[in-house]
Amino acid sequence: MGKKSKNGFIAAVGGVFGAIGRFLADFGSAVAKGDAFVKLSLLWWGAGYARRKQYVKAAIMTALEAGLILFTIFFALDYVPKFGSLGTVKPEKVFNMKTMKNEWNDYDNSFLILLFSLFSFVVWAAGIIIWMKNVVNVYRLQLKAEAGEHINTFREDLHSYVEEKFHITLLTLPVLGITVFTFVPILLLILVAFTNYDQQHMPPTNLFSWNGFNNFISLFGGGGMTITFGYAFVRVLGWTLVWAFFATFTTYIGGILLSILLNSQKTRLPRMWRTLFIITIAVPQFVSLLLVRNFFANGGIVNTICANIGLTGFLRDIGLISTSYIPFLSAPGWAHVMIILINIWIGIPYQMLIATGVLMNLPSDQVESARVDGAKPFQIFKSITMPYMLFVTGPALVTDFVKNINNFNVIYLLTEGVYTTTNQAMANSQAKEVDLLVTWLFRLTQDYYNYKMASTIGIIVFIICALFTLFAFNRMIGNGREEDYQ
Amino acid sequence: MRKMKSNRASSIILHNVLIAFLAFVWLIPIIWLVCTSFSAYSGMNTSTFFPREWSLIHYQKLFQPDTVQQFPRWFMNTFIVACFTTVISTAFVLMVAYATSVMRFPMRKPLMNMGVILNLFPGMLSMIAVYFVLKTFNLTNSYAGLIMVYSGSAGLGYLIAKGFFDTIPRALCEAARLDGCSEARIFSTIIIPMSRPIIVYTVISSFLGPWMDFVFAKMILNAGISENYTVAVGLYKMLDKSLINSYFTIFCCGGVLVSIPISILFFIMQKFYVEGVTGGAVKG
Repeated sequence: MGKKSKNGFIAAVGGVFGAIGRFLADFGSAVAKGDAFVKLSLLWWGAGYARRKQYVKAAIMTALEAGLILFTIFFALDYVPKFGSLGTVKPEKVFNMKTMKNEWNDYDNSFLILLFSLFSFVVWAAGIIIWMKNVVNVYRLQLKAEAGEHINTFREDLHSYVEEKFHITLLTLPVLGITVFTFVPILLLILVAFTNYDQQHMPPTNLFSWNGFNNFISLFGGGGMTITFGYAFVRVLGWTLVWAFFATFTTYIGGILLSILLNSQKTRLPRMWRTLFIITIAVPQFVSLLLVRNFFANGGIVNTICANIGLTGFLRDIGLISTSYIPFLSAPGWAHVMIILINIWIGIPYQMLIATGVLMNLPSDQVESARVDGAKPFQIFKSITMPYMLFVTGPALVTDFVKNINNFNVIYLLTEGVYTTTNQAMANSQAKEVDLLVTWLFRLTQDYYNYKMASTIGIIVFIICALFTLFAFNRMIGNGREEDYQ
Repeated sequence: MRKMKSNRASSIILHNVLIAFLAFVWLIPIIWLVCTSFSAYSGMNTSTFFPREWSLIHYQKLFQPDTVQQFPRWFMNTFIVACFTTVISTAFVLMVAYATSVMRFPMRKPLMNMGVILNLFPGMLSMIAVYFVLKTFNLTNSYAGLIMVYSGSAGLGYLIAKGFFDTIPRALCEAARLDGCSEARIFSTIIIPMSRPIIVYTVISSFLGPWMDFVFAKMILNAGISENYTVAVGLYKMLDKSLINSYFTIFCCGGVLVSIPISILFFIMQKFYVEGVTGGAVKG
C-alpha cells in the first residue's frame, strides 16, 4: 500500500513535469519550423492570425499584448524593481515649498511592494504561457493552411468553447478563483516567512526586509533569541500530534462501535436514536462548543455539581487539584484530557454516520457464517468488521488525521480566553500548552502581528500534512479507480 | 426454552438501555442549551441544571436589538452572504467536477494534482494573506469580502461531486454526442438533471458554510461594528467576559433559533454526505 501510493505520488509529480516538457517541445518545434509570420508572432502576437485572415483573433491577441505592456510600464515597474530590498524610503513629513505645508513624502510600503510584485510575477507567468501557447497555435494554423484544411472562422472558434474546448469554459472562473484566493495568498505567505514582517516592522509606518532562513532557525531553537520560539514549538508540535492521534482514533473507533450498536437487530427505533445523536453535530460548533466551555467553566454548573457531591473535595484531598474548583479547561493536563473528551462528544456522531454507510455494505454472508461457526461478537468485530472498515476507510483515516492537525474550531472555541498559560517560556512566544500549530499561528497574526513566525509555522504545518498525505495520495485523487464504472 | 427467551429479552432491554444512556449523555448539553434559553435570569445559571424561573423574556429581547446584540440583523447578514456563496460555490464545484470527471484534456491530471497539493495548506494560512489583500482593497468588514472568502476557492472542494459524476454511465454522453449534442448541452440537459442528489448536497453544504464558520468571519469582520457581524461572530462576542453575565441567556436563545434551520438542512444533507464520502470507495 505504502509503496503503491509513493509511486502514485512520483507519477503525479512526473506527470506535471512531463506536461511542461511536452509544452516546451511543442513551442520549440513551432519556433524552429514556423514560417515568417509564426516567428513574427513572437513579437506581435496577432501576426500569425492576421496572416490566416483571422482578424478578430489577431485584434484580441494584439489587445492582450498591449494590455500586458501597459500593465508592465504603469504598474509592475513601480513595484518589481524594489522587490530585492522591499523598499528603502520610510514615511516622513516633508516641508513642501509650493504649498507651504508639511506633506508625506513618497514613501515605500514593503507589504504593497511584496504583494504587487508577486501579482506582477503571476501576471507575467500567465503572459509567457499565453505567448508560447499562441505561437504553438499559430504554427498549427500554418500546418492546416499548408495542408489545405479548413481554417475556422471566429464564429466557429467561439463555438468550440461549448464543444471540444468546453472544459476551458467550465474551468476558467473556478481556477481563477483558486489562483486569487488560495494560490497567490499561499505564495505570499511563503515569501513572508523569509522576511522580518512583525509588529516592529509594520507597513506603512515601518519597512520590513528579507531575512533569509532566520525565522526557521529561531523556530527550531537556534538564534539565541530571548523569545523562546524553539521551546514553544517543540511543545506545541508535540501536543498537535498527540491531539491529532487521539482525536482521530477515539472518534473513529467510537463511531464504528456506536454504529454497530445502533445497527444491531436488538435496537428498537434505530432511526430515532440515530437522529438524537446527529442533533449534537447539527448544532453549529460555535454554539455547542461555546456552550460546553461554559458548562465546564471554573464557576460553571459542572463544578457546582462536583462540589455538591463531594468530588471536588475528594480530588483536593488526594492532591490532584489545589484550587476550590476543578480546572476542567484552565489547567494543563486537565484541559488536554477534557479537549479530547469533548471532541469525542462532537466527533463520534460524524464517524457514526460514515461508518453506518460503510457497514451497510459489509459482506453479511461472512458475518453469518462466522456466527454459525460460533464466533463471539467481539471476534466478529475484530476479524471481520474492523479489517473491512480499515480497508474501505483507511485513506479517509489519514485525511481525518490531517484535518485534526488543522482542527482550529475545537481548540479555539474551547480554550481562547479561558486558558491562560503559567509557563513563562510559552507565554514569551505567545503560545499555550493547549495550542495547536494553527491556533498558535492564528493568535500570532491576530493579536501580536507576528506574521513572519506565523508564516514559518504555516509552512511547517504544510510539510507535516504533506508527509502524512503522501500515504493516502493515490486514493484521494482516485487515481486508477475513477474509470471503473464509466 | 422459556429461560432462553427471557435471556434474549433481557439482553434486548440491556442493549436499548445502553443506547438510551449514551443518547442521554450526548444530549445533556443540548438539553441544557434549550432549558437555559427559557430562563428568566440573564446570566449563566451555575447552581442548578434547570433554571429556577421559566420565561420567554429573553426570546423577546433577542428581537429588540441593543448596541451589543443585533440578532435579526446578524441573521440577515449571514443569510445574504450565504445566498451569494451558495450560488457561486455550487456553480464552481459542479463546473470543476464535471470538467475533471467527464471531459478528457491534457491538463486534467496536473490540475487535479495541483488541487491536492493546495488542499494540504491549512486554509487559515491562505486566509491570513487573503485578509491582507482584502484590506488593501478596502473589502474587509463587507459582504463582498466575506462572499469572496467563502466562495473564491470553492472549486477545490469538487471531489465529492466528481465521485458522483464518475458513476454516471458514459454511454449516455456518447449517445448524445452521436446525436449531435454539444458538450455544453450534454452538461446542461443530460447530466445536471440526473444529478439532483449531488446538487442538493452541494447547495446545502455551501449554504451552511457561512452559518457554521466562525474563524474566517472573525478575521474579516474585525472592525468591531456589531451591525456587520454574522451570527457566529455576534454570538461569540456576547460571551465576552464583560458581557457574559447579562447576555448568556440571550446567547442560548440565539443558539437555539439559529440551530433549528441549520439542523433541518443538516439532516437533509447528511444522507448525501454519507453517500458522497463512502459511495465511490464502497462500490470499488
